[in-house]
Amino acid sequence: MSGTSDLAIIGAGPAGLAAAVRARSLGLAVTLLDEQPAPGGQIWRAIEARMAAVSDLRHGDDAAGLALVRAFRASGATYLPGRQVWQVEPGFSVYASTGGKSEKLQARAILLATGAQERPVPFPGWTLPGVMTVGAAQILLKTSGQVPDTPVLIAGTGPLILLYACQLLDAGGQIAGILDTAPRENRAAALRYAPRALANYRDLVRGLGWLRRIRAAGIPVVRNVRRLAANGTDALESVRYETASGAQKTISAQLLLVHEGVIPSIHMPLAFGCAYRWQEDQRCFAPIVDEWGESSVAALSIAGDGAGIGGAAAASLKGEIAAVGAAQKLGKIDSATVAATAAPLRARLRRALATRPLLDALYRPRQEVLTPDDDTIVCRCEEVSAGQIRAAASVGIVGPNQIKAFTRSGMGPCQGRQCGHAVSAILGETSGATMDAIGFYRLRSPLKPVTLGELAALDTPEIDILA
Amino acid sequence: MREAEVIVIGAGMVGAAAAYGLARRGLRPLVVDGGDLDYRAARGNGGLVWVQGKGLDMAPYQWLTRRSSDLWPELAAQLVQIAGDIQYQRRGGVTLCLGEEELASREGTLMRLHNRPGGSERDFEMLDRAGLEKLMPGVPFGPDVAGASYCWRDGHVDPLRLLLALQRGIKELGGTLLSDQPVRAITREQGIFKVRTDKGMHGAAKILIAAGNGSGALARQVGLDVPVRPQRGQMLITERFAPILPLPAGGIRQTGEGTFQIGATQEEVGYDLATSVDAAATMARRTVQALPFLGRAKLVRHWSALRVMTPDGHPIYAQSESHPGAFVALCHSGITLAAAHSEMLADAVAAGGFPDEISPFHHRRFDVQKAA
Repeated sequence: MSGTSDLAIIGAGPAGLAAAVRARSLGLAVTLLDEQPAPGGQIWRAIEARMAAVSDLRHGDDAAGLALVRAFRASGATYLPGRQVWQVEPGFSVYASTGGKSEKLQARAILLATGAQERPVPFPGWTLPGVMTVGAAQILLKTSGQVPDTPVLIAGTGPLILLYACQLLDAGGQIAGILDTAPRENRAAALRYAPRALANYRDLVRGLGWLRRIRAAGIPVVRNVRRLAANGTDALESVRYETASGAQKTISAQLLLVHEGVIPSIHMPLAFGCAYRWQEDQRCFAPIVDEWGESSVAALSIAGDGAGIGGAAAASLKGEIAAVGAAQKLGKIDSATVAATAAPLRARLRRALATRPLLDALYRPRQEVLTPDDDTIVCRCEEVSAGQIRAAASVGIVGPNQIKAFTRSGMGPCQGRQCGHAVSAILGETSGATMDAIGFYRLRSPLKPVTLGELAALDTPEIDILA
Repeated sequence: MREAEVIVIGAGMVGAAAAYGLARRGLRPLVVDGGDLDYRAARGNGGLVWVQGKGLDMAPYQWLTRRSSDLWPELAAQLVQIAGDIQYQRRGGVTLCLGEEELASREGTLMRLHNRPGGSERDFEMLDRAGLEKLMPGVPFGPDVAGASYCWRDGHVDPLRLLLALQRGIKELGGTLLSDQPVRAITREQGIFKVRTDKGMHGAAKILIAAGNGSGALARQVGLDVPVRPQRGQMLITERFAPILPLPAGGIRQTGEGTFQIGATQEEVGYDLATSVDAAATMARRTVQALPFLGRAKLVRHWSALRVMTPDGHPIYAQSESHPGAFVALCHSGITLAAAHSEMLADAVAAGGFPDEISPFHHRRFDVQKAA
């Protein structure tokens, strides 16, 4: 790989694609790297192939997605699909793996558009076969049209559950029921954000449409569900939960899909040293960015859900704004162009984010999702339970990095993506310290799997080692 | 204010081992430790209990290292009682040599160490390729591996389990461990040392400063001017494999979990904990040359830690002349020397002074070198 890009964008979802299109229009040399074989990110996964095969545009923003993907294809950005970025070094050098080989790219500025991950939902039995996330099920539906052959039970909270339920019904799937885990008090708390949300009434109308569709299909919905547990010996057999009145219920199920909203994917920004903070309104850590999306690391920006959950429309706009910021930083445009380009984008962004406080309040996860009971496994890779974390914390170990060293929690292949949030939250609960004071694991490369053979084949200078 | 007979500053590998030894001697030490993001060499090291090749420039260091290796089985047996398996093994270790030139050079080094005046028993042997294959049958070494040096005193341990076991031992034996209390200042009033942390003041007649790279600033407050600097070491760890490498091979060892731990760089970069692809690639190349099957091993973690380095690379043990009762101990071989620290260092602090064998480790040796 030769030459230096002005801007390297990591991620081909709404933020990355929109940023690439905008940056190209401002004269930047752009390289976009993405893990998937085709552009679209999670929300518009495989959209070109899907749109060629079906003409179903009823759910989501597929039309907008296809238009953006087409604009990106025509933008003149260098597109590198199938790339797993495992390290970015200052300067910037981007290391990416594809087909068992790693390559190094140079760029003057970086935009991380790596989006969100589903909030890990640790509860007793969540590691059993037959338990998966709504997001994972939706990917199967989108990429291979897979519809589960047994009725699915859905548990959790968040708009994705409603969207997926409608998509599954349309695809001919069956839904046994929805266990809504949103606490009762969410509704009252959300009310005061309703007037502001009207600024984006189209999103509201669409959401209400999903609710109507689910009601019309006669799907039983149990509200205010607590203390979810999956039971089974080798695979899921039944699901236990507690109702608002305290009654214990058990229902048989072969497939349980869980979801408690999405949170920013923070591994890359944290590994590159970006400052971050706890966002209580979304109950997650998020990197700190300025009005251009620039992080605490100069010329390294973050746009889209990776910098705070805002949805696809907001992500596209944030991507465009970050592209303007990068062009300004690199001296490609004058200040008049900056102002003229950014102002309308910001106005649209305000509108796109109008429903966000309402959604955050309505779908706020209950505390037990963040700090599960003692017998719940939190680190799946190393099989460490919440109780073991609490035990380590009780002997005076107050930071996530020492917890990691002493319990092995977070040392496995997922690099703490599943357990890190629970570990920090449990430490917050046991020590009374703020989430900002506790922080997250110290994260390091490799952010994606890379083999020693791949590393050995890199053309790099030799470093003094003690053999 | 808490009062104790002795306060140990630092619950890393040196402080924890010494405090454990003090606790075993009934002194009920108070151990104050720093924060979660402190530079913790104890959390980043490779877990070798290593003797071969050490002490070329300093005979007492060779003696101390051997002594500690010999004390290790007893320490390990105690810790297993307290905390269960710490994955300690003392079945010898090898340093693999890539090419005949490296093998000859390695032999030259070890022979120089052995033939030094006052030389002592021989605890190593040189192995050619056939000898190495006989020692470790079935290990798929690469074609470039010409042989190895072998030392029966070498071994390895899980360093994190070791640290946890020492800390648990301190508490079980009546000591106290206070986390997240970085020491801000040390003063002395009427023969009592006052140690101030963010959360309070603690007092003791004796203190042992074992704060790694933070020791310099603390020791100066009690009249000890110890030269210490950070030296970065980067390490790699792979996914798990079935047991295949029975002995630690210096920079490559298979852990009890089955992962391969690979290290380490020696970089003078100050307090910079970054990792670099250049370092990972260098270590990967050497590893794949030695054990080609590891080319397909996925890298799971890559980290860096800061060694606690002195000008000659050897430990410093000293008591303050202006502030008797104030001790300092620092070194980069905390795992290897853990057994010496839990015995000899603890004895010295308890007795109020170092024995003759330890006196060469006073940092005044650097003044002599400067004068000469």
